[in-house]
Amino acid sequence: MNNAEAGDNRRAAVFAVRNRIRDFAVTVILWTYYSMGFVVFFSPFYLSALFFPAHREAAFQRLNHWFHRLFFVLLRTLAPKVKWRITDAVNDIRSSVIIANHLSFLDPLLFVSLFEKQKTIVKSDYFRFPFFGWILRTSGYIPSLAEGLFAANMVDQIKKMREYLAAGGNLFIFPEGHRSRDGRIGPFDQGAFKIARLCRAASIKVVLIRNTDRLFPPDRFLFNTREEHVIEVELAGSLEPDYESDAFSLPGLMAEARSLMERKGV
Amino acid sequence: MTREQITSAILEIFRREFEMENPGLDDNLRETGEFDSVDAIELLLEIERFLKTELTHEEKQMAMEIRTIRQIIDYVELLAKKRNENGNKQDR
Repeated sequence: MNNAEAGDNRRAAVFAVRNRIRDFAVTVILWTYYSMGFVVFFSPFYLSALFFPAHREAAFQRLNHWFHRLFFVLLRTLAPKVKWRITDAVNDIRSSVIIANHLSFLDPLLFVSLFEKQKTIVKSDYFRFPFFGWILRTSGYIPSLAEGLFAANMVDQIKKMREYLAAGGNLFIFPEGHRSRDGRIGPFDQGAFKIARLCRAASIKVVLIRNTDRLFPPDRFLFNTREEHVIEVELAGSLEPDYESDAFSLPGLMAEARSLMERKGV
Repeated sequence: MTREQITSAILEIFRREFEMENPGLDDNLRETGEFDSVDAIELLLEIERFLKTELTHEEKQMAMEIRTIRQIIDYVELLAKKRNENGNKQDR
């Protein structure tokens, strides 16, 4: 190995270490905001919302929305190589059940940041966390129903959901149930579509997410801020099912949603 | 309301809403894989419609332990009886 090659190798190693330190710093800043930012900047607003029981759920959702909006402002600032393309058609979604593919832990946070009125289905285990679980419950989010044949409070949640959707709220669901490891869409769980049917959701929006897994890959602790890529969130299509029709079928609805995503080349 | 009427109504709900024809009364619904927790919620809503009253929180909690159609029939029979007795008390 000559001196020039050795120098190149040394520079590459230094560059790699510098990148990892940068990723580490970005990750620490972001998760510090997520924990301490909540306590310092947002907890007073959450606490004051407790004094207005009638509007508590809506206030918590609005606060969640602004908390996550700021998270993404910070993320965009700290990862300038990553470009974001979120279409107006997605930003304008209201009164809908949103079905989306799932690539990264960022996906649900992104949806919370996009919609002021938002509910989602969250892994039941998270509801057991002392403080986080309380925020989830008060925000009206729904446990993933993994346990118990009958979930008593779920009946009330579902009843309220029709009204919530009619008032402009969105319910977003990732029907794959977990993050894709290869970018392809996995098998859909019927649950998301059954909930849409139960709520008689007039509008189902099928949304496609791309590249969030490149910024925050599954099973990784660090954000990857070095790569240049575009995170895209676009509307793949809309479905307006006629639940009362004899022709309606749940597998049919699932196949339609899947085909809308696949038409976009996923 | 007789047990036969309740049985027939529950089986009709399973046929219509869950596309399950002739399910075994003692089959564990969870283990058959055809009936998940979202279906369970739908069933509770159907039971409310059938009884024409809302279930109390305690009644919904009671349903947490249900696993078979026979248990669902027992459960609805119990609720119907309770409502009938409450109705009779109010009439007096």
